[in-house]
Amino acid sequence: MKDIRESILKTDGDEKISGQAKYVADIRMANMQHAITKRSTIACGEIKNISYPELPEGYFIVDHRDVPGLNVVKIIFDDMPVFTEKAITYLHEPILLVVGPNKEKVKEIVNNIQIEYIEKEATFEWKNSAVQYHFDKGLGKSIFENADKIIEYDYETGYQEQAYIEPQGFIGYLEGKDKVTLIGSIQCPYYVKNAVIQVLNATEENVRVIQPSVGGAFGGKEEFPSLMACQLACAVKKVKKPIQLIYEREEDMLVTTKRHPARIRFSAALNKEREILGFKIYCAIDAGANIGLSGVVLSRALIAGTGAYTIDNLDCSGDVFITNTVPNGAFRGFGAPQMYFAVEMFMEHIALDLGIDSLAFRRKYLAKQNDLTSTSGTFRDPIIMNEMIEKGMEISDYKKKRIEYSKEKSTKGIGMSFFFHGCGFTGSGEATHIKAKVRLKKDKDNTVYILVAAVDMGQGIRTTLRKVVAQILEIPIDNVIFDFPDTDKVPDSGPTVASRTMMIVGGLIGRAAKEMKKRWTETEFIVEKIYEQPEYIKYNDETFRGDAYPAYSWGVNIVEVDVNPVTYQPKILNTWSVYDIGKSIDDRIVLGQADGGLTQGIAYGYLEVMNHVKGVIKQKNMTDYIIPTAMDTGNMETVIYENPYAFGPYGAKGVGELTLVGGAPAVVYAIEQAINKRIHKIPATPEYILEMMNDGKNRL
Amino acid sequence: MVKQILPKNLSEVLELISKEKYRFCAGGTDMLIQNHNLKTLPIDFKDNIIYTFNLEELKGITEDEDFITIGASESLESILENKITPQILKDTILQMASPAIRHSGTIGGNIGNASPAGDLLVPLYLLNAIVQLQSLKGIRSVLLSDFITHVRRIDLRDDEIITKIIISKINFDKHQFVKVGPRLSDAISKLSFLGAVSFHEDKVIDLRFSFGAVNITVVRRPEIEAQYIYKTKEELKNSVDELLEKYSEYIRPIDDQRSNKEYRKTVALNLLRNFIEEL
Amino acid sequence: MAKIDFRLNGVPVSIETQLNRRLLDVLHEDFDLIGIKEGCGEGECGACAVLFDHEIINSCSVPIANCANKDIVTIEGFSNTSRYKILKDAFEEEGAVQCGFCTPGMMIAAESLLNKNPKPTTEEIKIGLSGNLCRCTGYNMIIKAIQRAAKVGEGKW
Ligand SMILES: Cc1cc2nc3c(=O)[nH]c(=O)nc-3n(C[C@H](O)[C@H](O)[C@H](O)COP(=O)(O)OP(=O)(O)OC[C@H]3O[C@@H](n4cnc5c(N)ncnc54)[C@H](O)[C@@H]3O)c2cc1C
Ligand code: FES
Ligand code: FES
Repeated sequence: MKDIRESILKTDGDEKISGQAKYVADIRMANMQHAITKRSTIACGEIKNISYPELPEGYFIVDHRDVPGLNVVKIIFDDMPVFTEKAITYLHEPILLVVGPNKEKVKEIVNNIQIEYIEKEATFEWKNSAVQYHFDKGLGKSIFENADKIIEYDYETGYQEQAYIEPQGFIGYLEGKDKVTLIGSIQCPYYVKNAVIQVLNATEENVRVIQPSVGGAFGGKEEFPSLMACQLACAVKKVKKPIQLIYEREEDMLVTTKRHPARIRFSAALNKEREILGFKIYCAIDAGANIGLSGVVLSRALIAGTGAYTIDNLDCSGDVFITNTVPNGAFRGFGAPQMYFAVEMFMEHIALDLGIDSLAFRRKYLAKQNDLTSTSGTFRDPIIMNEMIEKGMEISDYKKKRIEYSKEKSTKGIGMSFFFHGCGFTGSGEATHIKAKVRLKKDKDNTVYILVAAVDMGQGIRTTLRKVVAQILEIPIDNVIFDFPDTDKVPDSGPTVASRTMMIVGGLIGRAAKEMKKRWTETEFIVEKIYEQPEYIKYNDETFRGDAYPAYSWGVNIVEVDVNPVTYQPKILNTWSVYDIGKSIDDRIVLGQADGGLTQGIAYGYLEVMNHVKGVIKQKNMTDYIIPTAMDTGNMETVIYENPYAFGPYGAKGVGELTLVGGAPAVVYAIEQAINKRIHKIPATPEYILEMMNDGKNRL
Repeated sequence: MVKQILPKNLSEVLELISKEKYRFCAGGTDMLIQNHNLKTLPIDFKDNIIYTFNLEELKGITEDEDFITIGASESLESILENKITPQILKDTILQMASPAIRHSGTIGGNIGNASPAGDLLVPLYLLNAIVQLQSLKGIRSVLLSDFITHVRRIDLRDDEIITKIIISKINFDKHQFVKVGPRLSDAISKLSFLGAVSFHEDKVIDLRFSFGAVNITVVRRPEIEAQYIYKTKEELKNSVDELLEKYSEYIRPIDDQRSNKEYRKTVALNLLRNFIEEL
Repeated sequence: MAKIDFRLNGVPVSIETQLNRRLLDVLHEDFDLIGIKEGCGEGECGACAVLFDHEIINSCSVPIANCANKDIVTIEGFSNTSRYKILKDAFEEEGAVQCGFCTPGMMIAAESLLNKNPKPTTEEIKIGLSGNLCRCTGYNMIIKAIQRAAKVGEGKW
């Protein structure tokens, strides 16, 4: 039998290349109405009065009065209204929808609605903490009492916008009298369904969510679409016709969630032998106007606080701050990219302060099998980072370049980051919160249907899950069907997030396929599997103690740059990556994730600038928000290591996020070497590099 | 509702604009963005529009002994691909926008738009380009540097249209165009620099600099350039600090969503220094 | 309203329309050519790219008025050619497609590039793709796909 990692052509390649794949904006329906959102023009205050123009026949206003159920969007923390009733908490907060047959007219009505506000002073400083976390490992902060030396530095990260090329959008319509059906560019059909049920006060049967082709998501279509869907569902109930709500690019960039800006303080307690005794880590993130997923993001950041290293004593704490800015949310990496940048730079800066070789210093603290994790759980599986690092150094000629580029005149730099990513939901999330359920159905004609709610948003799951099933059942892949999820047809296998789909959903599907194989002679039947946490995984969400994840993927990124000495622009020359993802289910798909993830991660580190001034996002379109073009990428080489995880299908662990989280520290290491200055903030733009050249602290 | 005209020829245009105010849409790459509407709705033009992209009279790239003449509606890409086009323009165009936008964006549009970040303006200022304007009354020729009066403001009368851009044929011993954008392609300039120089027997006989996106329009100071004519290369190199100081006064960039003043100014002057030092 | 005649995917067409509509909307809405995607609506991403007299343009930045008597080819029209087949196979074999939203535009960019330069270097491919944003792939596999197509399809462009 072929090794499953051998690549096959993707299921949806043909339809996408030929342009025949249907994304939400390509779906036509008779009598389609258009919805446009009326938004606040202030960042903080109250609505005093709204005056409406006369509505022509067939045009509707949909607002909080049209919400039949709870006026709250069900996310993890339920503090976002579907339509605000009175309070305005950020600029461009949605107030109502205008719906009608002629878009021009709808636009005119939106423009003619006059809203008077009582404006209040908005808060943009990080002072209103809504969530506080704290946990210790070992002796906690008391270890600092024994310290011979304490080193402390601050790090800062900015916004990052997902910048999926397809903006967010939905179509909603009524099936029969009561059933609301929504087709949307989404990651999590059941998040949307459950949110809509709560808002409509509807029964399970009366809400249906369908996924069409999705033009990229990266976390941006995890929780935000629930807001749009809830609004649209209320509109569909009222208008009783098909309605399209598709965002303009600028609207999308102004109002949808982004990666949380973070400010991180690291302190290290060192002994006389210049060894690390412990860390104090404090991480603050800006949630924007709602908490939403921010608490979970903060917890993931804190858990990643020690990076790929084992530090015996820890005092980790953090705050989620509420400000009158656009709410932030999920983005590939989910808190980890912020933290990896900070911890990797901190390790480097400690080594520089101590005047010791930073690579040797960092390798000395690398986590090993059976070490305790930051949450005092155990790294149970083998960790092969040393081998991976050696491999990375070999293919990149790291040592030689590192020496060569440290010469005074050199404008080049090379840097290497170490990292891991916990796969699946944090802690007991999978077992208590998600409870994934999958089904595999065998038909009379021996066709097998994969029934899961996992969304292919480009990462290839429509191909890889079919591969797993076909391989286990030893049937041709063409006999395995995986249609777009439709909540009327598939069970809730959980959201397509947290690098969980192959490991968790794929794992369940694999087990279902094994059972199906045993019963293959039966003509027509369904196998259902529900997630069970491996017995040994125990985690306490309150105390942050135990095994935060069932498995960990590991990685090494190496980036080589040249920083133009006249313009201070970094140019990416080459990148090398080495990943331990358990088992590759399809090499080409994994390598595609690797290229794309790393490109986003590197760009997060030096290129992508987004900021706000008094709540107004300054880079609000693709012209001003800069993502890499082909010209901005270097040569890429990736090596995949196998290190199977017992509960993943064929041993697979997570891939999607792992490939992003190490990019920023690797590129910043390289830039630091090229300019011979220390960097404490990303993105390390030419403007910031210039500032460092003038006033920054030297590396050595 | 605004009027929309797709004219057959230039005389129809001149007729129309002699009677009523119109704006032109050539490639539309600036006009469509500036008059952006919601998806699927028609472009939200606020003025009467004449579409000039396909007008034969505004096309063509020709040369005579001293001059090269480029039609206002010539696309950036066709200018790039034309053998006659001076290298200095080609170097600039190669760094503008993307292939797709270069196929629809025009030279007339870049001038008409008069953005401080308009890249093609940088070599055109340096080459002392002349803008030819036509109305029913006749033809008027204006130096580009006089034609552009302020940010997005041009000396175009209501009854006129830009028909041609004329540049003199000059070769320099060395020229260098550097565009500094937020990424390496497909981006609006944070700033740009163009330097050009010619020597005769080691003496400077022609020296020109222009800077984009560091002031309300392109910075070109012929009076400073003139001070270095007949200096030797060595003397020129030795006076680089002084030269920078002279330009410093005119490099007055702003802070915006793409960059900041300090960066723009420092890098503009770095580029000037680098150009001189590498002669 | 005005009448605009042009060739669309090899067939002469004629439409009565407002001159100030974007080519994108005419193609996507009136002709139901869904291979054209709107990613940004401002000329930046290339998802809406089509061939305009054999060269790439972004249909969101072109008014229909400019299209009179032009030869417009969209991915739907291009997909009938043998060059398409070569590019398509190369895109699939190199893994150049993830979410697919940028893909038709990338194919148009590749065709436009190879038309002019049948043997592009890596750098030339990057320049050719510089107006097509892809957020999924990091471009690496798209570049490889075009290299492969240029080799396999030697003599076709
Ligand atoms: C994605 C993108 C990237 C870009 N990148 C760059 C870049 O890197 N560098 C750069 O400089 N620009 C860039 N631009 C801007 C634009 O493409 C150029 O300015 C282009 O040259 C404009 O030409 P056009 O024909 O499209 O102009 P249009 O939009 O048609 O017109 C622009 C202005 O010129 C006027 N005009 C046009 N023709 C005439 C005429 N004959 N007589 C009088 N007035 C006239 C119009 O009324 C209008 O005010 C970019 C634009 C986009 C969308
Ligand atoms: S939609 Fe036309 S370039 Fe982005
Ligand atoms: S494949 Fe998703 S944007 Fe290119």
